[in-house]
Amino acid sequence: MREIEITVNGERRREAVEDRRLLLDFIREDLCLTGTHAGCEHGACGACTVLLDGQAVRSCLMFAAQADGSELTTIEGVGSYPDRLHPVQEGFWEEHGLQCGYCTPGMIMASIDLLAENPSPSDEEIRERLAGNICRCTGYVNIVRAVHHAAAAGREDQS
Amino acid sequence: MRDLSAYSVDHGIEIASPNMLGASVKRVEDPRLIGGHGRYVTDVERPGMLHATFVRSPEAHALIRAVDTTAARELPGVVAVFTGEDLREATSAIRADAGYPTWQTSARPILAVDRVRFVGEPMAMVVAVDRYVAEDAASLVMLDLESLPPIMTVDQGLAPDVEPFHDGWETGCYVTRSKESGDVDGLFAQADHTLKLRMTTQRYAAVPMEGRAVVAELDPHDEVLTIWDSTQVPHLARTGISQHLGHPEHRVRIIAPDVGGGFGLKCMVFPEEIAIPFAARALRRPVKWVEDRVENLTASAHARDARDDLEIAFNDDGELLALKAHVVIDSGAYSVWPYTASMELGTAVNQMPGPYRFRAYRGEGAAVATNKTPHGPFRGVSRVAATFALERVVDEVARFLDMDPIELRKRNLIRSDEFPWESPGGYVFDSGSYIESLEKLAEMSDVAELRRRQRDLREQGRYIGIGVSCFNEQTAHSFAEYAERGTPVVVGYDKAHVRMDADGKVTVFVDTHAQGQGHETSYAQLVAAQLSIPFEDVRVSFGDTETAPAGMGTFASRSMAMGGGSIQLATRDLKAKLVRLAAHMLEASPEDVELREGMFFPAGAPARSVSVREIARMVHLQSNKLPPGEDPLLETSYSYRGDPGTGTFPNCAQLVVVDVDPDTGKVTLLDYFVVEDCGPVINPMLVEGQIHGGVAQGIGGALFEHSLYDEESGQPLATTFLDYLMPGATDVPDIRLEHLYTPSPWTPGGVKGAAEAGTTGSPAAIANAVADALRGFGDVLVDELPLTPERVYAHILAARAAQATPATPDPR
Repeated sequence: MREIEITVNGERRREAVEDRRLLLDFIREDLCLTGTHAGCEHGACGACTVLLDGQAVRSCLMFAAQADGSELTTIEGVGSYPDRLHPVQEGFWEEHGLQCGYCTPGMIMASIDLLAENPSPSDEEIRERLAGNICRCTGYVNIVRAVHHAAAAGREDQS
Repeated sequence: MRDLSAYSVDHGIEIASPNMLGASVKRVEDPRLIGGHGRYVTDVERPGMLHATFVRSPEAHALIRAVDTTAARELPGVVAVFTGEDLREATSAIRADAGYPTWQTSARPILAVDRVRFVGEPMAMVVAVDRYVAEDAASLVMLDLESLPPIMTVDQGLAPDVEPFHDGWETGCYVTRSKESGDVDGLFAQADHTLKLRMTTQRYAAVPMEGRAVVAELDPHDEVLTIWDSTQVPHLARTGISQHLGHPEHRVRIIAPDVGGGFGLKCMVFPEEIAIPFAARALRRPVKWVEDRVENLTASAHARDARDDLEIAFNDDGELLALKAHVVIDSGAYSVWPYTASMELGTAVNQMPGPYRFRAYRGEGAAVATNKTPHGPFRGVSRVAATFALERVVDEVARFLDMDPIELRKRNLIRSDEFPWESPGGYVFDSGSYIESLEKLAEMSDVAELRRRQRDLREQGRYIGIGVSCFNEQTAHSFAEYAERGTPVVVGYDKAHVRMDADGKVTVFVDTHAQGQGHETSYAQLVAAQLSIPFEDVRVSFGDTETAPAGMGTFASRSMAMGGGSIQLATRDLKAKLVRLAAHMLEASPEDVELREGMFFPAGAPARSVSVREIARMVHLQSNKLPPGEDPLLETSYSYRGDPGTGTFPNCAQLVVVDVDPDTGKVTLLDYFVVEDCGPVINPMLVEGQIHGGVAQGIGGALFEHSLYDEESGQPLATTFLDYLMPGATDVPDIRLEHLYTPSPWTPGGVKGAAEAGTTGSPAAIANAVADALRGFGDVLVDELPLTPERVYAHILAARAAQATPATPDPR
């Protein structure tokens, strides 16, 4: 066991973790933030995507111990219904960018990361950036629209 | 002969708020899901909960000499290790038998006993304080196995001298089938031409993003076993688990909370769904098991895996006369409950003539046992492979006759004035727009312009292909389908219960669960439309057998016709009571009462009115004011059965444009067009989402996904997402979609199933497009999926070497 210090959705925490504990399991089971999902546990599907120091990472490919000293944002820290939805969440709702919802938190985190880098992405740029996040339900058509929707909302906010 | 005199059924449903239907209402499911507050089985935590993992067979076929759990039991944190012997007495092996005379049974122990029959078959179950410890312990379980040669191909299984696969077997098949209608031999004799081709669809799988997951807990107060189960079919799961666990149904409660995709995988009952409640009951502690991706890809169920030999008789003018089909399905190691190993074969044989006006048909085939993961349902059961096979053959006929493939189809499709159509495959097609859909597809895609572009680009060295598919498919199956198969569960109805509370708000209880389809939204629209109350005043409840009426659950695109049908009819009956009570309060006769925006009023006198809420308040809180003969109850139930006929038959046409890279064989999709007709649409946004996702799954099957095995060792080769290639955002193009709205004459509101059309038609369209592109290289027969770069490049090389055998019809 080792002690780590981590800021979780803006709140500083000190937690004891086993060396081999995956960041994903730490988030879901120790922090009880179950919005982050396990899709493959081998880094291929992106369902477990979270932001670590603002960068999208796959929490199934990291140990919790590696997040020591970091700032972690999960889907629960992004925004919530009814009055604090993030524009990306709004976009997914408006454009029907989700069906079963299982890949959705990871998809939203990856989209936030994308828009932070590129506030006005093209269709191709969205598809390229989200190619590492697998969705089995939507065929991605409405996910692309959802990201455009969020990007447009972001531009409106700035003008 | 069926009695189709009731060709049009009037269900007496009156829509008071038509703006609620055909409206893309935003989903009420989404706020929780986009906020990370969905509740999936894997999120369920119980006090004192233990975690299970399974030790699975590393061999495709072996005798079990010993399973030594000593070392595993000694690991600190391990609570129990169970083997097949431990479960043999307390559970019954899964037998899912079909009623066909040729049927041979398979017994599938919950944990393997004596013998293992596929890699991934559960052999032991470790229960520990957490999953890390459980998996550590699982690696300490010692298996002593005596390897046996596996059956890894259907040809091995069909060999006359094959060893009995299951006890008492005389052949290597679960079942064989044959049916015939019309003068097949006569028409083949008179036809100008016949053409015989073999089409092969690979084994692949449903692969929902959330795998299977089970949490079970025994309540010591009443011995009720509560099972949180990631299932599409809560009540069927209750029956299946109860039966195999020997725990009475009234003490089994299934809770299917948010389910992260199903696509057919989760409408079966698996051994793990019985083993986990067994452990919870034996240990008297909650136990959780969450399938990992390797288990999901190797040990849940696979699908498709069809080898179709088709022979078609046709004339010079393009008239298709008769069809022969020989279908061989690789059904894997066990028959799945409750659909049985007859499912893919049974429906393929019925489906094969498709939407065409064949005058005669002979369908036959076999479901063969192999040492592979059991074969189960997956979106587009049998239709995906059958449509690929038939539509490829139709395209090859067009090519031989040098006819436009769209024109050839239009000449042979059933016309919209010919319904109901009794197909020689045994189905009754209720209604459709087969020719109109194809015409609309040609128009929306501007196929003439696409052909011009194709020729221009060919001159620039690019190999563009244009492919079309069109099909109809059985959805919302009525009793006839399952009765013919003789399955343990004969599906053909579903139920709803509608309750209005004292504040005039409504809760709908229904069994047709959702795994992403948006039923909480679309079902509420149905109720709001009839009762003319705000959409927000309707709540839809499903997924808990304590509250939902017992039904068959969600699969085979049945939810809107069956679940929605029973909701519409229960709402109709509730409304009839509201009308009677309104008439009483308004001192009018019920025939003269009208309903608008939640208010009842006498026809022509809107000034006097009573609201839905006022009636509800009177019924529940002032029932002394009820007229004689009316009870203080605003609850109705309805069980809708889909008679007459054999289900509803939506139709669809797809056109895809592909670009084949001549140097690598890579296929890129440039444009995708769909015209679908699933009857009147309740929520277009949701139907479009179903089509998009369905097409994407078809793209996966056409180009990437393959549950491949090493045929010598029997080892599965696609065990992670690095080898099992799921379509990603760069693989699926934008999809352009248009609708037609031909109602079913039978279902409430005329609705038909919508969820499978995207998947059913896309491998066929893509294969036809690739075949079209490859024509630029010479004679190539595209006859096998998936069309990986390796396979396509092999076609290119073969064509270039002029070695490929063209599909040449026999001369007459």
